[in-house]
Amino acid sequence: MDNMRAVTILLIEDDPGDQKLITQSLRAEKVSNHIQVVGSGEAAIEYLTASLSGDPEKPLPDLILLDLNLPGMGGKEFLRQLKQNPRIADIPVVILTTSDMDRDILESYRLQASGYIKKPCGLAEFQVVMKSLNDYWFVICKRVTHDTGCAYQANKCIAR
Amino acid sequence: MTPEDPVVMLVIEDDLGDQKLLRSALNNLSMPVVFSVHGTAEEALDYLNGSKAQDAMPRPNLILLDLNMPGMGGREFLRRIKQDEELCAIPVVVLTTSDSQSDIENCYKLHAAGYIQKPGTPAELRQIMTKVAEYWFTNSPLVRL
Repeated sequence: MDNMRAVTILLIEDDPGDQKLITQSLRAEKVSNHIQVVGSGEAAIEYLTASLSGDPEKPLPDLILLDLNLPGMGGKEFLRQLKQNPRIADIPVVILTTSDMDRDILESYRLQASGYIKKPCGLAEFQVVMKSLNDYWFVICKRVTHDTGCAYQANKCIAR
Repeated sequence: MTPEDPVVMLVIEDDLGDQKLLRSALNNLSMPVVFSVHGTAEEALDYLNGSKAQDAMPRPNLILLDLNMPGMGGREFLRRIKQDEELCAIPVVVLTTSDSQSDIENCYKLHAAGYIQKPGTPAELRQIMTKVAEYWFTNSPLVRL
């Protein structure tokens, strides 16, 4: 339980109301977290591409929270693409969605989601769920120290 | 699965003392848990392959995996499970004494759904298992696969 450094969470959610509920609930937690919000899978890929290029404004996330029903490529396709990219496949992705259909749950786990949470109703319930998520990922689980961005930058400098 | 169904947990741990501690920590939870405890990765793989065909061997909802074990060990087990089309959907949580950054990184690359370093005392282990259960069994619905 020594994971004291600030954590970065990438939230992929198109609904502004849910964005607000989730970020509020996460900020209520004691862990110092930095929440980045994007509204689509495409925007998330853009964010991660910038992270990998060493953009200091866009640190690689320690955890991704992913809605399934998104405009454009959708959550499952984003998950599939992320888990196929060896440079970012180690980032845990937790599904946060209104769907509780067995098919969606099973498919998400097959695509290597690290949890599947059905969106609760209201701020109080969101806080309970986000506390559990926060305790699991940032208090009891060990995290990867991502230095991909820096390593990538260093390589670029050497190449020049 | 409905909330009344017991959760099936496969525990792969070769240390008998740790097995006992885990059983007691998990029995303390407010939900019914059925265990299948295995001392080697080979034995656990046999069980999982059996669960594909036999109702008497229920498919686990979650796997708790030690890394350092005699035989194939936890790392190879994780790699094999995640390559199996049927079994790859079962979340695997690593529970080990190792806190080496390369183990942490490799396990997440192999799609571990959590990496927990074994704590020093039984009381801490109970606390950890309560959080694991809250996350996986209360908030994160697991399907019978």
